[in-house]
Amino acid sequence: MDDLDDELRRLFNDDRLDVHSEPVAVEAVVSGARRRRRRRTAVTGAVAVVALVGAGIGLTHLTTSRLEDTTGALLTTGTSATSTPTSPPPVSTVVSTVTQTVNAPPGTGTPDDTSTGDPGKPSSNRPSTTLVPESQPGRYGTLALGMPEAEALETGSLVEPSTPADAEQRCKAYATKSVPDANAVIVSPAKGIVRIMMPSYAKTPKNVGAGSTVADVKTAYANAAQSGSHVTVQMAASPPWTYVFEIDGTTVTTVFLRLAAGDCTTA
Amino acid sequence: MTAVLQLGSAVERGGGRAETVGDFAEFVRMSMPGLLRYGHALTGNPHDSADLVQAVLEKVGSRWGTVQGKGDDPLAYVRRAMANTHISIWRRRRRESLVADFPDNGAVAPELSRLENEPLWQALRELPPRQRAVIVLRYYENLSEAEIAHALGISCGTVKSQSSKAMASLRTRLGKE
Repeated sequence: MDDLDDELRRLFNDDRLDVHSEPVAVEAVVSGARRRRRRRTAVTGAVAVVALVGAGIGLTHLTTSRLEDTTGALLTTGTSATSTPTSPPPVSTVVSTVTQTVNAPPGTGTPDDTSTGDPGKPSSNRPSTTLVPESQPGRYGTLALGMPEAEALETGSLVEPSTPADAEQRCKAYATKSVPDANAVIVSPAKGIVRIMMPSYAKTPKNVGAGSTVADVKTAYANAAQSGSHVTVQMAASPPWTYVFEIDGTTVTTVFLRLAAGDCTTA
Repeated sequence: MTAVLQLGSAVERGGGRAETVGDFAEFVRMSMPGLLRYGHALTGNPHDSADLVQAVLEKVGSRWGTVQGKGDDPLAYVRRAMANTHISIWRRRRRESLVADFPDNGAVAPELSRLENEPLWQALRELPPRQRAVIVLRYYENLSEAEIAHALGISCGTVKSQSSKAMASLRTRLGKE
């Protein structure tokens, strides 16, 4: 039985396995890599312009009822949106309504929060302690945590081609129209979108973003927990997710929305 | 999961692009012979090995900052990526070429492996890509079952079953020789 083991080891140790002629030039690989990177950047840049134009147009068409759905990580403007006291809509219904609302709307929270007119106030059926995780849905723009890859691609927000997000190449990483980073969105084949990186200019509904201090984060989110080089804030939406604020000393550098039940090693 | 978050993006965005490129070129230069040899074991011929190495290195090189930022050994990362790429993309090509490669004209393609006359090498060629990858990772890379499972993103049970199927096929084929 072991002779096959030995034979295999011998075969794989054989000098004839060496490839002597250099069929791959180092320069060709380096320039190929550069081309790939440029192509990715160019595509990202082009769609970013389109997205900005689209954002302008889209904003003018937004209705109040739409604004209530754009509770992702958006800049707070204090708009008083009216809404019905429903639970956060299923991820799949959000897609078409949440269009490029980077600088949009209502203070916060879920639709049931906004009905109170006070973004910071928990809804009546929740304990009124600030330590309770908020129930804001985990989404940014058209993308939502847990959204299947096919659906995410349909939104047109992802910039193809994807790259492997982990060594196993099980999960995929995409740049997005608003974030020209190869790892802007991480998608798991099983869990859908497991991580979304917010653009550097974006703020959470509580006005925290890149450039904010750790103290700002903790002030805004009472349940913030610092661990090493990041601060996490759990959100009790369905599905549950977490804000992850990457910090450099005392300043937030990047903000992620991360699915609690994600299964990608890089997310 | 949390701990890994800090890696990646920031690194790639950081400065020193020229330095990064130089570093990558050096990595390619140093690792090329070993990767070609490894690719040869994975794919079964030097020509496919070169294509595989080039494709994977270009992809990895375009995200070199991120790859380095992951804290992994970049070489191990490239090798795992090669195994996975070979399985996912090269499977189709291999099946097509199995039909196309053997018209009965007796022609020997110049890129054929120098191991072509070895019965075991011929038997390996008949294995499905994933089974072959498991065998290569086990006997070429000397990885444990758990390490192979991690590298290929499959369970230990699958590694065991793929491995035993592969070994059974090899024994059968060699027995026929």
